[in-house]
Amino acid sequence: MHKITAFAERNAKEILRDALSYIFCLGFPLVMLIIMTLVDKSIPKEAGMTVFRIENLAGGIAVFGQTFIMLFTAITVAKDRSGAFLVRMYATPMKSMDFALGYMLPMLCIALVQAALIGGCSLLVSVITGGSLSVAGVLLSLPVLLPSAVLFIGFGLLFGTVFNEKAAPGLCSIVISLGSFLGSIWFDAEAAGGVLLNISRCLPFHYCTKAARAAMQLHLSWDACLLPLLVVCLSAAVLVALACWAFRRKMKADLA
Amino acid sequence: MNAIEAKKLTKKFGSKAAVDHIDLTVKEGELFALLGVNGAGKTTAIRMLSCLSTPTEGEGAICGHSCRTEAEKVKGIIGISPQDTAVAENLTVKENLLFMARVYGYDKQKTEEKAGEMIRLFRMEEVENQRAKTLSGGWKRKLSIAMALIASPKVLFLDEPTLGLDVLARREMWRAIENLKGKMTILLTTHYMEEAESLSDRIAVMIAGKIAACGTLAQLEAETGRRGLEEAFVAIAERSMSENA
Repeated sequence: MHKITAFAERNAKEILRDALSYIFCLGFPLVMLIIMTLVDKSIPKEAGMTVFRIENLAGGIAVFGQTFIMLFTAITVAKDRSGAFLVRMYATPMKSMDFALGYMLPMLCIALVQAALIGGCSLLVSVITGGSLSVAGVLLSLPVLLPSAVLFIGFGLLFGTVFNEKAAPGLCSIVISLGSFLGSIWFDAEAAGGVLLNISRCLPFHYCTKAARAAMQLHLSWDACLLPLLVVCLSAAVLVALACWAFRRKMKADLA
Repeated sequence: MNAIEAKKLTKKFGSKAAVDHIDLTVKEGELFALLGVNGAGKTTAIRMLSCLSTPTEGEGAICGHSCRTEAEKVKGIIGISPQDTAVAENLTVKENLLFMARVYGYDKQKTEEKAGEMIRLFRMEEVENQRAKTLSGGWKRKLSIAMALIASPKVLFLDEPTLGLDVLARREMWRAIENLKGKMTILLTTHYMEEAESLSDRIAVMIAGKIAACGTLAQLEAETGRRGLEEAFVAIAERSMSENA
């Protein structure tokens, strides 16, 4: 356990001491929260567009923020792999699982803090704009957002393991864009229906946003929250298992 | 007991042998240098002996433990400072040392003691709170070696420890390495003749993946009939190349 916590602490420091982490993981989602709130205020009520109302927006922004955790996980892993640091660590008694957990644990803590800060800011926006977001909803969303955080961290670990320092961030950008649009963050796929909804339903991002939104609105029914949450949990488990397997395989190949 | 043993150790990349059936024995407490030009196979040999690469053929052993079948035991008793500086760039000098000590399972008090010990040993007091990415090449190299030493390894591998350092930094590094002599077994790779000459107890000359000659400086001089390591090295290299031609 010593080895994992030591490595996790090192990874947390590496990320928290990089100003870009704050800009992307916190600053950008909060800027989007404000911009989309302003967009919502500009949309006439008759349009019936509710996706940018703070009760809907807060969950979406929280998931959007998590996509950047994926980006920083991938960058950290790929950067370590491209230099001599990981080679040195391979010569210590650390095993592949220690490395994988050491990368994931600090990211999970950062994701939790990020969700709490975005939730707090969303509450503030709700108070200012007269929205109906509640403290209970924000608090409930924190555990509900954990599986999606694990899912995105799993993506980050996988990309950082399989691809190099240049390719991994590029692939993460694709997932960020796909996740934002097909994850129903910037529009309501359920309302749009058709092919777009079918595609969204085939990807885990849609369920991440759906579960987070439902939790924020205290809708805890099976259809609204629990089923999407189950899909996210299963997707996260599969992806983390895949990422750990890939890391182990890559480590073995590096040591061949 | 021999600290390092290699028997017919071989590493092939495709059809090319980077290390070709080398036999090597390093006694406990000895400072042994692998001397050779770039691409001679020194780093590959060190990688196999430190469990960072699996031999294609042959065996390597550290303090009697096989690098192939007892890698965990070997990793617990070795330290390695790779050729490229391998430090956590956003951590301070002290944090890097504390981190490595914790990886080896030391408790909080022992971790602090070990980090302090390394800072004193390498005279890093003035930079201990400086982030690694802001350090000069010489300081980074010192930190890298200090990190390799933190768990008091029985065997220390130093891969080109002074590569890219200026004359003053190199001399200071030599002093630091000399301080370690006798306290542990050290295997260092270098292509600087004067480094091998001034630091090591015995020298193995590697040419094209093979050990062309091995012994003390006096033995190498006697074997070639030349004076000084550089002259002896050139004679060994020429002999080796004419044999292979």
